[in-house]
Amino acid sequence: MNAIIVSGLLGVIMMFSGIVLKNRSAITNLAAIGLLLLLIANILGTYGICTISINTHNMLRFEKFGMFFNSIAFAATLLYVLLSGRDLERTGVNTGEYYALIFFVLCGVSILSSFNGLLMLFLGIEILSIPLYILTGADKRNLRSNEASLKYFLMGSFSTGIMLMGITLIYGATGYFDLGHSPVVPSTGEQRATFLEVAGILLLFASMCFKVSAAPFHFWTPDVYDGAPSVFTSFMATVVKASGFIAFVRLFDRHGNELGPGPTWSLLLGFVIIATLLVGNITAVFQQSVKRMLAYSSIAQAGFMLFALYGNNDLAKEGILLYSVAYCLATIGIFAILIRMNDYTFDGFNGLAKTQPVLAITNTVFLLSLAGIPLTAGFFAKYYMLASAVKAGASLWLVIVAVIFAAVSVYYYFRVIQAMYFKDGDPATAPIGTGFKAMLILMAALIILFGIFPSMVLGAFYF
Amino acid sequence: MSVTEILFFFLSALAVFSAVMVLVSKSPVHSVLWLIAVFFAISGHYVLLNAQFLAIVNLIVYAGAIMVLFLFVIMLMNLNAETEPQKHMWMKLAGVISGGCLLIILVSMVRQAVDLPGKTALMKEGNIGLIGNLGKALFSDYVVPFEITSVLFLSAMVGAVVIGKKE
Repeated sequence: MNAIIVSGLLGVIMMFSGIVLKNRSAITNLAAIGLLLLLIANILGTYGICTISINTHNMLRFEKFGMFFNSIAFAATLLYVLLSGRDLERTGVNTGEYYALIFFVLCGVSILSSFNGLLMLFLGIEILSIPLYILTGADKRNLRSNEASLKYFLMGSFSTGIMLMGITLIYGATGYFDLGHSPVVPSTGEQRATFLEVAGILLLFASMCFKVSAAPFHFWTPDVYDGAPSVFTSFMATVVKASGFIAFVRLFDRHGNELGPGPTWSLLLGFVIIATLLVGNITAVFQQSVKRMLAYSSIAQAGFMLFALYGNNDLAKEGILLYSVAYCLATIGIFAILIRMNDYTFDGFNGLAKTQPVLAITNTVFLLSLAGIPLTAGFFAKYYMLASAVKAGASLWLVIVAVIFAAVSVYYYFRVIQAMYFKDGDPATAPIGTGFKAMLILMAALIILFGIFPSMVLGAFYF
Repeated sequence: MSVTEILFFFLSALAVFSAVMVLVSKSPVHSVLWLIAVFFAISGHYVLLNAQFLAIVNLIVYAGAIMVLFLFVIMLMNLNAETEPQKHMWMKLAGVISGGCLLIILVSMVRQAVDLPGKTALMKEGNIGLIGNLGKALFSDYVVPFEITSVLFLSAMVGAVVIGKKE
C-alpha cells in the first residue's frame, strides 16, 4: 500500500511544482528526490518495517514478488530521471506535469503488481495507459508525435473495451471478478472452466497481449515508439512494458493450469511467442533508424518475456524479475545515448568510438546485454526464461526457435556496434557532461555485475 | 407472456436493431443517433432489472454527455462520404476473418453454456441496483477501487490540461 499512496501523493506534489518552481532543473531534482522517497517507502513496506495498512477488502494482495518488482521499477525510473531528466525538460513546457504523469504511471505499476481480481487489474491498466497517451503526444508541434498519440489512444481504448468484454464474460460465467472460480465438475471433482469463461479469458488474453505488444497485437508499437518523444519512448519501453508483464504473469499465476485442457493454452502461448519473436526480430533487421530498430527489438524482447507466462513456475518468476532489471537498465541506457545523437539512423553512429569513447563503450555493453551475450545481465535473463519453459515441459523446438531468433537479434544490435567502431564519420551529439558519462558507466557496471552474479538480484528477492 | 417479458424482448430487439443500424448507417450523424437509441434500450433493461440509478446514470452520462460530445466532434470534423478514406481490400478481408472468428467463439459460447437457457434475468427483483445499496457497496467492499479511480481521473485531467494548454 505504501507504494500506491506515496506515488499518488508525489504525483499531486509534482503537479503543483510547476507553479512554485520556475526553474525546470529544480523540478527534475524534486522528481528525483521524490523517486528516492518512493523507493525507500516501498522497501520499508516490503520488509514490513513501516507500512500504511488499509483494509482493502481483498482487492489488493501484497506479496514479495510484486513489491520487489515495485522496487525494480522505481529504481529504474530513478536512473531514468537522473540520466534523461535534462532531455525531458527540453521536450515541452509542462515539465512538472510530465513528472506528475510519470508518478501516476508508477501508481498504476504498483497497483498492477498487487492486484487481486480483475477489477483492480482493469484500474491498474488504465492508470498505466492514460498518462502514456498524453506523454506520447507531448511534442505538440511535431505531427508524428500527434499521430502516434492519437493512434495509441484509439487502439488502447479499443483493447480496453475488449478487456472489459472479457471481464464481463468471466463475471457472467462465475460470478466473481477473478480467475480460478470455475465450477466444479461433480463426476471428477475438478474445477473446469465453462465455455463462457474460456471465451472471456481469450478476450482478456488478447487485450493483455496488446498492452505488452505481443504479436499479432503489436502493430501500434513501432509507430508509437517511433513517433513519441524519445525520452518518453525510453520510459514506455522499459518500466511500463515490464510492469505489463508482471500483471500478465500474476494474472495467470495461480490459475493458469486449472482453466481446462492444458495443452491448448500452451499451444496458444507457443504460437504467440513464435509470432512475436518472428515479427520483432525479422522486421528489426530491415530498419534504417536506430529508434525504430529499438521499437521492433522491444517486440522481440517481449517474445522472450512471454516465456515467463509459458513457464508459469518459480523459475519463471525469478526470471521475469531478472529480465526486467536487465532489460530496463540496457534500454534506458541506449535511449539516453540515442537522445543525445542528432541523427537517429545507423549512419549517425559512425565513428562514435573516436569522438565519444565512453558513450561508445557503454552503448556496446547495453547492446550486448540486449542481445544476451554471456557476462551481461541479458544472458542470464534469457537463460532463466528458457530454463523455466523447459522445466514446465515445453517442447524442444520452441526453445530452439527462441535461441535462433536470439542469434538473429545479434545481427541488428551489432550493426550499431559496427557503425561506432569500424566506420568513419563525424557524429554530431548534443553536449555531454561528466555526470551523464558517470551515470552511463554506473549502469554498464551494474549490467556486468548482474551478468556475473545474477544471484545478487535474486538474493535480494529472497532476502 | 407477461408484460415484463414482452418489454424485455421489445427492448432487446430494439437494442440489437439500433446497434446494427449504427454500423450500416452511411452518415456518421445517423450512427450517433442510433447509438443513442441503443443506450435508451439498455437503460430500459436496467429499469427492468430494478436498477433505476444505473439507468439514469447511463442516460445522463452516455446518451447525454458523451453522445453530445460525439456529435460535436463529428460536426467539427465535417465528415462525409467523399472524405472517407478508401479501405484496402486486404484490410476488409482481415476484418471479416477476425470478426468471423470472434463471432464463432461467441455463438458457440452461448450454445455450449449448459445452464444458460434455463436462466433469465431477475426482473423486478434484487435491490443491489438501488442507490442506497449501491452506495453502501461502493463505500464498504469496493472502497479501495473507488478511491483509486481518483488517481485515474486526476491523470486524465492533468493530461487534458497539458494537451489543451497553449505553449
